[in-house]
Amino acid sequence: MRPLFSQTSVAAVRLVIAVTFAVATMLIDSRLDGLQIVRLAVKTALWPVEQIAGFPANATRAVADWTQTRTQLAGRLESLAIENERLLTEQLKLHTLRAENSELRRLLGVRERVNERLLQAQIERVSNDPFVHRVTINRGIAAGVQIGRPVLAADGLVGQIVSVYPHASEVLLMTDSTHQLPVQVTRTRLRAVAFGTGQLDQLELRNLPATVDIVAGDVIETSGLAGRFQPGIPVARVIEVIRSPGQPFARVLCEPAAELSTLTLLMVDVSDEEVGQ
Amino acid sequence: MTFVLTWLATLLLVALPLPLVMAPYLPHWPVLFVAWWALFQNHRLSMTLLFIAAVPFDVLYGTVLGLHSLLFALVAYMLTLLGARIRQVNWVRQSVVVFLVLGIAALVGYWARTLTGYDPDLLVLMMQAAIGAILWSPVRIVYGWLSQFVSEPVEGTH
Repeated sequence: MRPLFSQTSVAAVRLVIAVTFAVATMLIDSRLDGLQIVRLAVKTALWPVEQIAGFPANATRAVADWTQTRTQLAGRLESLAIENERLLTEQLKLHTLRAENSELRRLLGVRERVNERLLQAQIERVSNDPFVHRVTINRGIAAGVQIGRPVLAADGLVGQIVSVYPHASEVLLMTDSTHQLPVQVTRTRLRAVAFGTGQLDQLELRNLPATVDIVAGDVIETSGLAGRFQPGIPVARVIEVIRSPGQPFARVLCEPAAELSTLTLLMVDVSDEEVGQ
Repeated sequence: MTFVLTWLATLLLVALPLPLVMAPYLPHWPVLFVAWWALFQNHRLSMTLLFIAAVPFDVLYGTVLGLHSLLFALVAYMLTLLGARIRQVNWVRQSVVVFLVLGIAALVGYWARTLTGYDPDLLVLMMQAAIGAILWSPVRIVYGWLSQFVSEPVEGTH
């Protein structure tokens, strides 16, 4: 094989060519989104590598499950039974609310969400890049997952599907610095946009006037604008409102409702009907 | 064969499922992989090979396609030029040079991420470069061992 850099000038020329190609690829991928097919093909080819890499963790988890004592299992069963009772009671209330909601929608002539369906998924791996908040889940095209579908956890919104593969999907967490989400404050119905900050425990509402009626503790939920997320999904809680003298805008920092750093199970919203009127 | 073996080993390291909070404290394995090749086996590399080898890392990390190709080209260029001078020096000096090269790559990575809409923290990138430099010696030994494993001994790795 020919040496990589035999002479300095040749080396510099090759470097310039390589850098040009790399930057062009980056721009095509990020601005035009034109390389999804490459990503899909490579990700599919990497499936065996990911399975091998995940084997030690899966095996450890399996061994831990096998070695649980009878007392531990009995304790877990009891707590699950209590939780089940609580959820059944909640479900009774939910049935009533659903019926009321359906009636109100009918009276208002608003389209109803039909065949609402949540698909359970498990996180297989997370990106090891500190600035990319993406996780891979074990459900893909075969399970009916599509790009743009909302992903939820028990406590609230997690993010959305950005790439789908035959048996896996990638979820962009709402804290990723490229993610923006239309939200509203539950108490005042004030609309805003929640920006990911690149930190797992922080979202930011930007461009709100300094005089805005928002306080620490306010709950933030999806507004349903843009049609991607159902309105009313808990997103975050306001932890700090920074109003600097002389600044026209306030900085509103929020903590995500879902504990993003310890997620294992997720729900993908694969309902048939989109939100809208 | 050595290239494929070390490349697969690096892919496995990147694909390891680890908690999200650990990400800032992990070294940038792919750059260390290229650093080893540029220092010890650059005569067997080509820019096309590096470009292709970089794509799976972009996919695994979820970064924009082309980012690792850019970093690979830069690291390969710098260490190939420096290679003859630092290949035989002791591990401490070699780690310092590797840190400087990884630091420059981190700066370029910072620029490239900003260009594609991300908001990276330069301090975290530099910390990754420092962790990479600290781990350089064991990485060099392991890759050297892998090279021997397929009967392709490398000069200056032991």
